[in-house]
Amino acid sequence: MTAPALSPTAAPTTARPPRRRRRRGTDSGSRRLSVQRTLLTVTVILIVVVQVYPLLWLLMTSFRTAADFAGGNPFALPTSFTLDNYARAFENGDLLLNIVNSLIVTLGSSALIVVAGMMAAYALQVLGFRFSGLVRSLFLLGIIVPVQIALVPLFIDYSQVGLLDTHLSMIIPLAAFALPMAVYLFSSFYEYIPREMYEAASLDGAGPYRIFTRITAPLSVNTIITVVLVNSIFIWNDFIFANTFVLSDGLKTIPLGLQNYIGAMGNTDWTATFAAVCVTVTPLLLVFLVLNKAMIQGLEGGATKG
Amino acid sequence: MTSTATGRQAPAPAREASASAADRTRSTRAGGGGRGPRPSRAFASMLPRRSRWSVLVFLIPPLLLYAVAVLLPIVQSLFLSFFRWDGITDMSFVGVDNYIKMLTRDDVFWTAFVNALVYLAICLVLQLGGALVVAGLLTALPKARELVKTLYLLPAVISTVAIAFLFQRIYALEPVGLINQLLEWVGLGHLQTAWLSNVQTVLAAVSIPEGWRFTGLYMLIIYAALIAVPKELEEAARIDGASWWQVFWRIRFPYIRPVWITTTIMATTFALRGFDIPYLLTNGGPGQSSELLTTYMYKTAFVHTDYGYASAISVFIVIECLIAVGLIFLLLRRKDNS
Repeated sequence: MTAPALSPTAAPTTARPPRRRRRRGTDSGSRRLSVQRTLLTVTVILIVVVQVYPLLWLLMTSFRTAADFAGGNPFALPTSFTLDNYARAFENGDLLLNIVNSLIVTLGSSALIVVAGMMAAYALQVLGFRFSGLVRSLFLLGIIVPVQIALVPLFIDYSQVGLLDTHLSMIIPLAAFALPMAVYLFSSFYEYIPREMYEAASLDGAGPYRIFTRITAPLSVNTIITVVLVNSIFIWNDFIFANTFVLSDGLKTIPLGLQNYIGAMGNTDWTATFAAVCVTVTPLLLVFLVLNKAMIQGLEGGATKG
Repeated sequence: MTSTATGRQAPAPAREASASAADRTRSTRAGGGGRGPRPSRAFASMLPRRSRWSVLVFLIPPLLLYAVAVLLPIVQSLFLSFFRWDGITDMSFVGVDNYIKMLTRDDVFWTAFVNALVYLAICLVLQLGGALVVAGLLTALPKARELVKTLYLLPAVISTVAIAFLFQRIYALEPVGLINQLLEWVGLGHLQTAWLSNVQTVLAAVSIPEGWRFTGLYMLIIYAALIAVPKELEEAARIDGASWWQVFWRIRFPYIRPVWITTTIMATTFALRGFDIPYLLTNGGPGQSSELLTTYMYKTAFVHTDYGYASAISVFIVIECLIAVGLIFLLLRRKDNS
């Protein structure tokens, strides 16, 4: 951070530098510093490799032939390149249908989270009322309480009102369990909208509804992006609600669709499965890489404000 | 939804729209919602004027959604936990029998409870410990911090089903998976095992993917807190001869304590509700050696259709989460005072 003019060159990965000595300030200072820096870079690279290599391996495997995968060293680079796995992945499963279902659930839940979250935060933070403290602590409960508590009751309720095996059966709990965090994020943003702005609008004759649609909601765009991005990851990948409430093939989301690749007696077509995984990860990964900065800022900001 | 609400509420905005400047000053004085210091009352409106109706219009829809899917199920679970019910025949009231069975007669429950604690411990070490170390290293990295952050967060984007597939291969023995191959290369070939079918390793094996998946998330949060530590504090300590280690523990860590509490609570509650990866990788097996409370509850409910008993277990999980959060506050706050 307070780096003097040192050249942060790529780490020489060949020879590992000796362990840093615990004595301080005896060696020539700058040499010690550069050894430290190299050591640091090597460590970080190692950690990142451990973190990312499994994913890279997954990608490489999806391009291997089945024979190449079965035979021998798992670390070896692919000896052949094939797109067969992807063809089989699309043949054996309903990948496109799964993706459409996941899109419906993700978009539906996100819309619900954003609208409901903004409304609740507006009522709590901007309008204010006597029991707002109580409502806030109710929402706090939802952050702590695990989702499993809702499985049995919702399963029973859904079967009574005929909601079992619908998109809505996934959207409702996914949105509801994400709501507390969204309310919290929107609230902490609304705290910073200056009072004067509302007063000016009030002078022009705007009531609470018009102020919400004309001032508060349009100003929330950045928070909306954060809320949608962070929640999309969890909703897109949701397994437990989908696995509990969805039975028919036509409604299966990606996580359930992927399970279809486990064949009878565990005879899984691994290379095709990994190809399917790559296909289903891609949409989210693209969004993530493009909007990476917004998401990272949102995560950092959201948590550190607490 | 808002438009119908506005329609129903037409009188209120109309009345407000006709309010004159004189009205405004009056309402400001009366309502205490105007500018100047915040009123000391428990609630404060940022708007000069609002109607009681408007609060309800904004509050009721989100609260309804939340009540239907979160609050009501909690109450229902509590209710169901006092009954025996398979979903088909009539419910029969059994009082606290489900809880007595759970706490005194059910060995699987206690195995699952202990397993869940081990799972929690492994996740916390990997996620919080790993996150703190990497965030600390990252603050000293001269460049490419953004790249490292992105790469490190990458596993969080992958679905648990995909992760389960991946780790099934990583842990495999036949054909040899990544870990066993690695062991052979470093000369520890005798340690090779089928990590997911070995009773002794399976619990750690299902915990590690969960830990691995979210380290990036916590690392980001902690990193953001670390770079907000005022440089002057660190500089001053360093001039006084403090080592890197001392600067870290005496200056930086106390400074990020509030964020540390938040991340600890997040990681703990997430680990206590951990379900997907153990369920998908081993389904609690072999035997009960990787059974967690969550997987046990799920099987009780949807395989054995014992809704009453499953509800009792899920009530226990909720209590466990609440106690954990309480403990974290208690332990981490107290240090603050000393």
